[in-house]
Amino acid sequence: MPSGTMRTKHAEKALVSNERIHSDDGVDLTLIRWMLSLTPVERLKVLERHLASVQRLRGDKT
Amino acid sequence: MTKPKPDFLAILRTLVRQRVEFIIVGGVAAVLQGAPLSTFALDVVHRREQSNIDRLLKAVETLEARFRTPGGANRKPNRSHLSSAGHQLLMTRRGPLDLLGVIGGDRGYDELVRETNEVRLGSNLKVRVLSLPALIRDKEEVGRDKDKAVLAVLRRTLEEGQKPQT
Repeated sequence: MPSGTMRTKHAEKALVSNERIHSDDGVDLTLIRWMLSLTPVERLKVLERHLASVQRLRGDKT
Repeated sequence: MTKPKPDFLAILRTLVRQRVEFIIVGGVAAVLQGAPLSTFALDVVHRREQSNIDRLLKAVETLEARFRTPGGANRKPNRSHLSSAGHQLLMTRRGPLDLLGVIGGDRGYDELVRETNEVRLGSNLKVRVLSLPALIRDKEEVGRDKDKAVLAVLRRTLEEGQKPQT
C-alpha cells in the first residue's frame, strides 16, 4: 500500500474512533502513528525520500 | 557543485562492516524510533578508544569523507580530530555524516551506551540508537531554539509509542 494511503487510513481511523488528531501542543498525531506503523528501515527510507525531494526542488545536482 | 544523494543506510553499513562502536543520535535516531522529523545529516557518537578510532578512520576513508566546513573540502579527518570531544562535520560520498565526541551535557559513548536501544535494519544490520527519553533530555539540556523546536514531536512520539497497539 502506498505510504500516503497508509497515512490517510490512520487519519480516518482517528476520526472514526475519536482518537485525537492533534496534541494540545499542536503535534499531528496521525503522522506519528503512521511512522510508528512502519519498520525502522521504512522510516529511514521515508526520510531519505524526503531529502531527495528537497534536493530536487532546490535544483541540486546529484 | 554535485551533492551526493543521502544514503544513511549505506553509511551505517560501512561503519558496521568496519566494526566501529557508535551510537546513532540526533534526527536520524528520532526518525528510526518513529518521530516524523527531517534532518540532513547522520549524527553519531563514536567510542573514543584507540582501536575504535583506527576502525573509524578506515570507515571514513572508504566513505571518502572530507570536512564540509568552509575551506574543508579537501581536508580529511585524522586521528586527532576523531579523538577529540568536538563535532566533526563531514561530507561523504553517501551524504553528510557528523562524528560527535560528546553531546548534551558532555556525555560520550561510554555514558550514553546504557541509554540505547538495539535497532535491526534489515536481516544483517544492527545498530545502537539513543533512546527517545535520552534524546529528549539532551535537547532539554542544550536548550537551543533548534532543539526546543522538535521537543514537542519527540515527547508525543514517546507517548504514542508507549500506548498499547490496537
